Amino acid sequence: MLIPVTLSLLEGMGTTLKLFFLTLLFALPLGLVISFGSMSRFAPLRWLIQTVVWIIRGSPLMIQILIIFYGPGLLFGLPLLPRFTAALVAFVVNYACYFSEIYRGGIQSVPRGQYEAGQVLGMTKPQIFFKVTLLQVIKRIVPPMGNEFITLVKDTSLVRVISVYELIWMGESYIKKGLIWPLFYTAVFYLILSGILTILLNQMEKKLDYFQ
Amino acid sequence: MMKRSSKLWALLLALAMVLSLAACGGNGSSDGKDAPPADSGTPADTGASSEGSDQEAADSDLAYVQGKGTLIVGMTDFAPMDYKDSGSDEWIGFDADMAKAFAESLGVKVEFLELADWDAKSMELDTKAIDVVWNGMTLTDDVKALMSTSEPYCLNGQVVVVPAAKADQYQTVESLSGLAFAVENGSAGAEQLDALGISYTAMQNQAAAVMEVASGASEAAVIDLLMAGAMIGEGTSYPDLTYTVQLNDEEYGVGFRKGSDLTNAFNAFWKEAYAAGTVMEVATTYGVQESVIEQ
Repeated sequence: MLIPVTLSLLEGMGTTLKLFFLTLLFALPLGLVISFGSMSRFAPLRWLIQTVVWIIRGSPLMIQILIIFYGPGLLFGLPLLPRFTAALVAFVVNYACYFSEIYRGGIQSVPRGQYEAGQVLGMTKPQIFFKVTLLQVIKRIVPPMGNEFITLVKDTSLVRVISVYELIWMGESYIKKGLIWPLFYTAVFYLILSGILTILLNQMEKKLDYFQ
Repeated sequence: MMKRSSKLWALLLALAMVLSLAACGGNGSSDGKDAPPADSGTPADTGASSEGSDQEAADSDLAYVQGKGTLIVGMTDFAPMDYKDSGSDEWIGFDADMAKAFAESLGVKVEFLELADWDAKSMELDTKAIDVVWNGMTLTDDVKALMSTSEPYCLNGQVVVVPAAKADQYQTVESLSGLAFAVENGSAGAEQLDALGISYTAMQNQAAAVMEVASGASEAAVIDLLMAGAMIGEGTSYPDLTYTVQLNDEEYGVGFRKGSDLTNAFNAFWKEAYAAGTVMEVATTYGVQESVIEQ
């Protein structure tokens, strides 16, 4: 029994992993863009971005998934996005907002003196950002980002509300056959994934340790 | 005045959110070519005619379904109506097999979509995420108000599930008060308990309610007679459970979008299939022949 259950859970794990990696792929750059927006010197843009971040961070991700999937059809009678795409959009937007705040914290923690020094040396703004600030920012945001990555692993289970068949769904489907242990067994899969992530993040921290 | 301005704010915020989501949505899908290619065709196709499609679909749902070539059946894992044999990926059951036959009669392919939440069925229908709800659905007043329902095709009732060892204590409706009940949220069984004034723990589905009784977390559950017949008793996963009191009589029907012409197409299909003997043949395969309504 263990082997067929493991195989069907691995199938659900595939969807979970796809959602996890695609979310990171799009949310990491989008978060950086949003963080620039939230630090913009153009006040209306700043306010707009801050409002969006407040709404996205302040409302449950499960509701956002439901709105993105059902919203277009319910409000405007438009055709729906495919289920997985809708889930992905919700995750990318949600996580990009969280990431943007982490980026902002990282960027603003670099002393202003370094920026001024760069200017004195005749460097342009992008040059200062990419050659001076960025690496320090990366080093500082690794621990809080790691936190978010691990939360993301487990948040993927929310997409079952729009019938995307991920890991927990597969585990839960055995309840109808009178088996409850596959559901609890899914926790092992999450543990393994977050264990691997923890190791990778620790290694990354060590690699970045060569400068203060 | 205060109220009005806060409403305005809410509206503005909602709008901002929708816009931002829409913007990101475009972003996500153009970058996200990794999304399953099979699906990406559908929104594009329907997107072209999306403006007028709402009206047209109301005119002929049948044409809409035949146009896209698939009938998407919304259902849940609910033996003996819709289920998979272990190790198999194919949906079978009385409803599943009849749905396949119905799709064939329309000249389209059938696609089964397992719903996460039975409560979402009418939302799934209205947004065209699915085309029909066909899953041993009891024709309650709520259901009739939310969708266009077919003629009833099967008889059913709500029964009380208890451990077999205690069954003799609970043979009457009066004996049920004071029991700790588990029942599927929003189900016909929940309605019966509400009517009797018995409180209960709401579960995600009927199987979870049975699990509650089996594990001892609840003392009794209310589920469909058809399901109890297939799921409970000797020779099943729950040999120590049994069912006693039947709380009501009810009928199963199939649900389509409001105003859909698929309802008539279904009724005609069913009469024909019944006359040809197909209905009883399939029903016998799954042991529900006693419940099928004569046409």
